[in-house]
Amino acid sequence: MKTRNFGAFLLAAALVLPYSALAYDGSAVSDGGTISGVVKFAGAAPAAKKVDVNKDKEVCGKTAKSDASLIVSGGNLVNAVVSITDIKKGKKLEPIKVTLDQNGCEYKPHVTAFPAGSTVEILNPDGILHNVHSYSKVNTAFNIAQPKFKKSVTQKIDKPEIINLKCDVHGWMNAWLFVSETPYFSLTDNSGGFKLTDVPAGTYTVEVWHETLGKTSQKVTVKAKAEAKVNFEMGKK
Amino acid sequence: MAVRGIDEKEEKKSYGSVFLLGSGLLVVISLWAFWDDNITRRPWKAVQAAFYRLDYRKAREAYDAEDKKLKADPAYQELIKKLAAEQTSLSKGESAKKLKALEADEIKANVRFGEIDQQVKFVKSELEEAWYEYDHAAQQGRDIKPYEEHIRGLDRQKAKLDPELESARAKRDQIRDEIKNIHAGVKELGTQLAKLAADRDKWLRVVDNITVKLGPLSFYKIPNIRQLALPEFDRNRFDEPMARVDRCQTCHLAINRPGFEKEPQPFRTHPRREVLLADSAHPPEKFGCTTCHEGQGPSVNSRQQAHGEVHYWEFPLLRGPKAQSSCASCHLDVQRLQDAPLLAEGQRIFEQMGCTGCHLVKGYEDIPKVAPSLRRISAKVDPSWMVRWIENPHNFRPNTRMPNFSLKEDEATSIAAFLWSLSKEEGDKWLQEHPAPAGLKEGDAALAAKGKALVESIGCKGCHGFADGEASTVLGKEKEIIPNLKNIAAKAGARWTYHWLKNPRDFSPTTRMPSMRLTEPEALAITAYLTTLGAKAEAIGGIEEKFQDAKNIKRGEGLVRKYGCFGCHDIQGMEKESRIGVELTTFGSKTLEDLFFGNRTEIGRNWDDWTYNKLKTPRIYATERVEQVMPQFNLADEDIKALRTLLAGFQERKVPAQYRAEHGQRVAQVVEGRRLMHQYNCIGCHEIENRGGFIRKYYDQNPGLTPPILNGEGEKVQSHWLFGFLKDPIPLRPWIAVRMPTFNFSDQEANALVAYFNGLSKVEVPYAYFDDRKVPKEHLDASRILFGKDYFNCLSCHQQGEKKPEGPEEGWAPDLNLARNRLSPTWIIKWLQNPQKVQPGTKMPSFFPGGPDNILGGKDERQIEALRDYLMSLGKGAAAPAGGRVASR
Repeated sequence: MKTRNFGAFLLAAALVLPYSALAYDGSAVSDGGTISGVVKFAGAAPAAKKVDVNKDKEVCGKTAKSDASLIVSGGNLVNAVVSITDIKKGKKLEPIKVTLDQNGCEYKPHVTAFPAGSTVEILNPDGILHNVHSYSKVNTAFNIAQPKFKKSVTQKIDKPEIINLKCDVHGWMNAWLFVSETPYFSLTDNSGGFKLTDVPAGTYTVEVWHETLGKTSQKVTVKAKAEAKVNFEMGKK
Repeated sequence: MAVRGIDEKEEKKSYGSVFLLGSGLLVVISLWAFWDDNITRRPWKAVQAAFYRLDYRKAREAYDAEDKKLKADPAYQELIKKLAAEQTSLSKGESAKKLKALEADEIKANVRFGEIDQQVKFVKSELEEAWYEYDHAAQQGRDIKPYEEHIRGLDRQKAKLDPELESARAKRDQIRDEIKNIHAGVKELGTQLAKLAADRDKWLRVVDNITVKLGPLSFYKIPNIRQLALPEFDRNRFDEPMARVDRCQTCHLAINRPGFEKEPQPFRTHPRREVLLADSAHPPEKFGCTTCHEGQGPSVNSRQQAHGEVHYWEFPLLRGPKAQSSCASCHLDVQRLQDAPLLAEGQRIFEQMGCTGCHLVKGYEDIPKVAPSLRRISAKVDPSWMVRWIENPHNFRPNTRMPNFSLKEDEATSIAAFLWSLSKEEGDKWLQEHPAPAGLKEGDAALAAKGKALVESIGCKGCHGFADGEASTVLGKEKEIIPNLKNIAAKAGARWTYHWLKNPRDFSPTTRMPSMRLTEPEALAITAYLTTLGAKAEAIGGIEEKFQDAKNIKRGEGLVRKYGCFGCHDIQGMEKESRIGVELTTFGSKTLEDLFFGNRTEIGRNWDDWTYNKLKTPRIYATERVEQVMPQFNLADEDIKALRTLLAGFQERKVPAQYRAEHGQRVAQVVEGRRLMHQYNCIGCHEIENRGGFIRKYYDQNPGLTPPILNGEGEKVQSHWLFGFLKDPIPLRPWIAVRMPTFNFSDQEANALVAYFNGLSKVEVPYAYFDDRKVPKEHLDASRILFGKDYFNCLSCHQQGEKKPEGPEEGWAPDLNLARNRLSPTWIIKWLQNPQKVQPGTKMPSFFPGGPDNILGGKDERQIEALRDYLMSLGKGAAAPAGGRVASR
């Protein structure tokens, strides 16, 4: 029971401490460095799996779909998110507006990264019922029906979290939202490359997250106005 | 000159020094007495003074902080400036002159009004007098005329004065209004300022509360005892009601005030103030502190005394989680108390470990025996396994509830021999009627694999574990209320297993194991799988002879009686035996004198330590001459502490009804139903009261395939439907492979469970009736459109009778034709409004707010109501599904 009291104390302490002392503090950064590199995939590239479209085929079956849970291009990992996890001060965090399209019963893009406080607009040009179900724990989970007449819904996401988005109507539909606490995140491109800019000089923990492969991290030191090159490698465990 | 009788020398002697000494002593003693009375013997005064200083300092700091904030606020500065400008303009210049003139006018007008008013008053008095004279004359039969004239004269005077008075009043009021108008600006600004500064000025009130003002000086208040009396709370030694006196808040002054969370005791805020002390729960002004925390309420002279931590006080302070023991004094339904987790856990362990098999406790008399019936045990288990099991069950299953009686092998053999001989006849008869299943070959790997697949899909794992560490519902830290079957082949053979699986109640009518409605091939496959778990027990040499030895059997009977095996097991011929342990109804009230420590010297001489060690090592207090028979349960330390919390609440004194929480029928039904729910382990598969659903851990990837969450079930379904479903379940969600078993509930049990769910949901009227003849056609038409593909497309996921949705079954949702007989119409409304709120994580998305604009005027509420009406009309006329039959009550 001691621990519970201690927990209550910690909670009280957390409430009393000014929130800004814990959260990310953003301002203009001059002389920032850059961290860039690629995320490699360890092992042989998996064969693309086809998605079985078993419902609403007249709309959803128009385009061929393949499983996006692990995409490797030229030995590099696509759709991984690289971020700095322990940065408390740096460039300004500006919420943005991102769009997620469900055209042809498939979320595009499959992974979206954006800062906390941003707004996501979800489009339904399909003319059939979709539902957008967030399997989130930190943010309040939502599950919004998007029938034919509702072409667009908008949802603001306030807290940092990696959220899995699913459409329960179409079991294969699956997307990820990487909601970042800081502005230092980068989604790997089609060649597995990433770039974090305007990083104040210092040593940071840089982490890669991938929906199937999990997380890996390493310490990276950045010098002012310099580019730190760093590569990651992830594989199936 | 000497005067007789007077001793000159004596007369001249000075006693000055004696008097001086005497008065000096008197002063010193008076000072000492004052000091002693006010300071030495009143330590709480210093405590209170210290608190006043602390409170003052904190209020001051808070005031200053708010003041600083306020001063930095431009709005505040603006107001201050405006106010100052307004005030100067009133004291100087044009408006000042005007104000002065007006004030002079007001005085004049006031005087004028006063004069006329007085005249009017005089005339009124004279009129009173005149009327008296008039009445008097009339009653005496004198001439009334002169009086009449006098009255008329006075009336005329008054009629003349009245308008004058009115105009004087109007004049005065007009001047007053003008003055008020001039001051209005200042007043308005003052109000605005006060509003803006409210957060700062509230601290002034805090300071006012603890200080007294004497002209320009300000002192702390004189400390005083803060006492609370709870009338008739206690009973004295003559069983007469008396008040409980509670003075704890003399020192614990901030117990119900936020902002003192980090101060040292005794000034700290209660750590759970908002939940436990807030207005609705246990306001300390009403309940005091000792009702939960014990201690010696009236004492204020020392901390030890006040906390009751002195030798002869029977109720020492209950600190931290120990206070949970007190909850049960007033709350019947302790399982719902979120702030008493230890107590709730203790109660679950107490009820489910079988404690009540040996110990009587009022309120816990009706708990059924926790262990299996032994009436046909000879048909079930391997004899050698049985001996070893009795000898020490923890060897075979470390987490079993069955305790270790520390028996020698020959004692265990005797007990087994007795139980075997007792059940032989019944057992043999059963075996004859249940031959070994045909088609079961030893080592049929394919069949076993099929069985394994079944075990993993139909829900066996909702209760049983099949490997090390696999368990669904765990009691306490690690006890398993349902056996882990990883070594089951050592215990029971294929023949028994097969028939047991097919119909457990056929073998043991009182078993909790339900029927999974297995077909014969299914039962055979599972049997094949179970026989691969573990190896047959190694036979003990000569076991058969030992079992037939009459001396052994006789000795076994004695041992069974001695250890009270019938407390937990149903044993033939021992149904009427009484509990062998001591009654524990008032165990928490036992004093040190009542507790037998044997020869133990290393154990603390207090109730807590005695009880802890008793539960940890039940025979610890045995001596050469005093035998103890309580067996070893191997409880984890946390579990012992939880049990102890419950036991400490088993008190002799009872809290009077006016202080207790509501103990209505609903609460009693919930408590009874929950016991039943635990007994049948419903929470193995279902989440109920936000607890359980343990089978879900096997479905991480696909939570849609798990049994439904039943939080709020009472509000959701119709009682008669639930009754029918419990008695005779039908698959509601065909895509879920886990089967709702058939428990063969008695009517009484099914009713108790229905009442439990209704009670949890606080459903007053279990079913709000719905007249489907009055549904407007407009609603049905609108709903048909809403149901359609262009709108909500309900049938994209929901089944409706024979209409099945597209796609794989695990994506489906329940048959909407069932709604009419199954769901509560009021629940449907709530559900459609926000499914996530009713059942967090549900696949059902929210269609509202945001219904289409072109249907029913675009009004969400009307669309929801229309859909409810439509759902209640679906399947009308069709026979109600089997599970929904109305059972007569």
